[in-house]
Amino acid sequence: MVTRVVVQRSPALRARRWARSNLFSNAWNALLTLVTLALIGFVAFVLVRFIFIEADWSVVRENRRLIFLGRFPQEHEARIWPPIWLFALLAGGSMGLWGRVNARGAAAIVVSVVLVFALLAHGANGARLGVAVVLAGGAYLLAERGLRGEAAQVRARRAAIAGWALLLPFAVVVLVAFGGAQTSRLGGFLLNILLATVAIEAALPLGVLLALGRASSLPVVRVVTTAYIETVRGAPLIAWLFVAWFVLPDVLPPVFNLDRIDLVLRAMVMLSLFTGAYIAEIVRGGLQSVAPGQVEAAKAVGLGGFDITARIVVPQALRAVIPALVSQLISLWKDTTLVSILGLTDGLGGSEAAVSQREFFGRQREVLLFAAGVFWVVAYAMSRLSLRLERSLGVGER
Amino acid sequence: MAVLTAFRESTLWRRRRTRRWIVQSWFGFGVALVLLYVASRATRLQLGLDFMGDRAGFAIGHQWLTDYTGSESRFNAYAVGVFNTVRLVLAGLALATLLGIVAGVARLSKNWLVSRLATAYVEIFRNTPLLIQIIFWYTAVLLQLPNLERGVEVLDVVFLSNRALAVPWAYPEGAFVAWLGALVIAAAASWLAHRWRVATEERTGRPANPNTTALAVFLGIAVVGFVAAGTPLRPELPERGVAGAGIQTISGGMQVTPEFSALLLALVIYTGAFIAEIVRGSIQALPRGQTEAAMAVGLGGYERMTLVILPQALRIMIPPLTNQYLNLTKNSSLAVAIAYPDLVFVGRTIQNNAGYAVPVFLAIMATYLVMSFLISAIMNWLNRRVPLGGR
Repeated sequence: MVTRVVVQRSPALRARRWARSNLFSNAWNALLTLVTLALIGFVAFVLVRFIFIEADWSVVRENRRLIFLGRFPQEHEARIWPPIWLFALLAGGSMGLWGRVNARGAAAIVVSVVLVFALLAHGANGARLGVAVVLAGGAYLLAERGLRGEAAQVRARRAAIAGWALLLPFAVVVLVAFGGAQTSRLGGFLLNILLATVAIEAALPLGVLLALGRASSLPVVRVVTTAYIETVRGAPLIAWLFVAWFVLPDVLPPVFNLDRIDLVLRAMVMLSLFTGAYIAEIVRGGLQSVAPGQVEAAKAVGLGGFDITARIVVPQALRAVIPALVSQLISLWKDTTLVSILGLTDGLGGSEAAVSQREFFGRQREVLLFAAGVFWVVAYAMSRLSLRLERSLGVGER
Repeated sequence: MAVLTAFRESTLWRRRRTRRWIVQSWFGFGVALVLLYVASRATRLQLGLDFMGDRAGFAIGHQWLTDYTGSESRFNAYAVGVFNTVRLVLAGLALATLLGIVAGVARLSKNWLVSRLATAYVEIFRNTPLLIQIIFWYTAVLLQLPNLERGVEVLDVVFLSNRALAVPWAYPEGAFVAWLGALVIAAAASWLAHRWRVATEERTGRPANPNTTALAVFLGIAVVGFVAAGTPLRPELPERGVAGAGIQTISGGMQVTPEFSALLLALVIYTGAFIAEIVRGSIQALPRGQTEAAMAVGLGGYERMTLVILPQALRIMIPPLTNQYLNLTKNSSLAVAIAYPDLVFVGRTIQNNAGYAVPVFLAIMATYLVMSFLISAIMNWLNRRVPLGGR
């Protein structure tokens, strides 16, 4: 045992020592510190001056509907709230069940809630946002404090997982079904969210099947799946989106009007097919990481081929690649902006449409920074979540 | 049913080989059916490549070294598009690697401020859509620069405006090819000199400056060859001029369009952030003993990094780096968003004018497959050449 002697020093002295060892340990380091300080100062000055003085944020405020919902019909706008409420409920509950919220996390949440209110709480939306906040907070408190005993915990976790699985179908049904909006009218950040979630949920099973095919011992299956994966990964997404735009309707069978599906659905189909190939490569890595002993043990207890794959190999492979899957989701989330090149009014397309109006001419900086900020917040939150998952799963620690 | 049960219990089905072939035949049959169906539908689409020989009829925005007016064939237009993509990708790869290495090393710096700045850079640019970054650099920065009349001038030789960045450049003339031959000889001679000095170093145990010698040999032969060939490079400064109707123009030197600059900036900054993470991860994957040993033999920070750490980290770095290189290549296709005439943009224009969606898209995909294959092949070759070190 090493005993550490802790000497209390005055904060000023501690700060000076810290600065000396971290910033000014030698001449080169001091120079580096000064140059970096100058750079940071310059960037901060330009940014602060722009954000608080030069920028005219009215372009974002006036066009928030266009940026968040695109050309989503006004009469159906109320339909977006039930999915948001369910999301708030699940997010609050999950945080209470799985996570611990530290001070920084809590501060980030409070700041984002305030920002969202400042931007979107007008008219009835204020009350609706309030409902979402109350639901999230209530679910958090209930999950954190209200559950007595292991059994209740387990039941609540199962319910939460089921809820997350049902969120997307629920959202799609509420938005589109029963005389709702046409899919072609989906837009804004709502479209980006839907594209990313639909594509990841459709691509996951496709990717697992492709990965199994590529790892198969059957040559025909292996060649076909490998060809698919490599062809899709070989060309850029925008080229595939052009294919979806110009070629897909001509090769889809004319049943259920499949050959006349609108651009939004075509983008969804193509994003799913595209992401499937990337997920296949991720899952392939996971399959290789499953110890051969697992398969042998499963054979020894008499499981058949299908059961070995579905119950032993794939679950362990997926567990090992969860962080990589989240990275794929992040890159998919960023890539959904490409649909704006097809002329769809997603978050980016809506932002560009906003500055094409005469009164907001030349306000590109404001809308683009705002759109970039929204994408960044979601992507950064996901990457933090992925780090946390990585730690709690203990991947790479066995 | 009885037949099925009997079949399932027969030795024929029980034999693994038979079962494998039955499964594969059905799978292959299904895939073939789908492909046949697609092909049968595709007969309504236009196929063939004859249309590529026709006159293109559209001009490609003026870029440095190319000026395509549209009177030539569509093949040539496509070739110009490929050339534009290739130069964008090559410049992007070089600069992104440089930026990524600097930022990755900076993230591990002992200087708190430097490592924080590098972390902020990586986290901000990695998590923002590349397309937004491209459009931001283009419409919100480069197009907002002053116009040519009021543009920024540096010493009367560099002009920066919303029309172009113009810098001095040297163009080949006369015996340029002969001088290129001299350069090849210079490279070979400097390689030999390097080997010779390294061998001397190993024999005598004293420093024999292999790098300096090699550089001196190369520069010596190159300069002598340059003079001997009659200075086959003609320097050219950008110059202002006035076209008809008093419109300001700029000509000469190398002119970089704002489209190219915006794409290059965005691709380099975005990919650099990913490469920085790869560099950081590879350095951290090295055993700490390497740094400590380098310190123990008295190497300074810079030499420790360039002689001990980076060469070993390189081996771990190459496979994920290859992935980023491929990503950058494919991401260069976002050029369509700001109308930089890359191969996708030109392909789309051809498809717009002539139809023939399927052949055009097949050509685009084939081109990307070839480029991806070349990059992978080069990187794999490099990967085999770099020795596995450290452990």
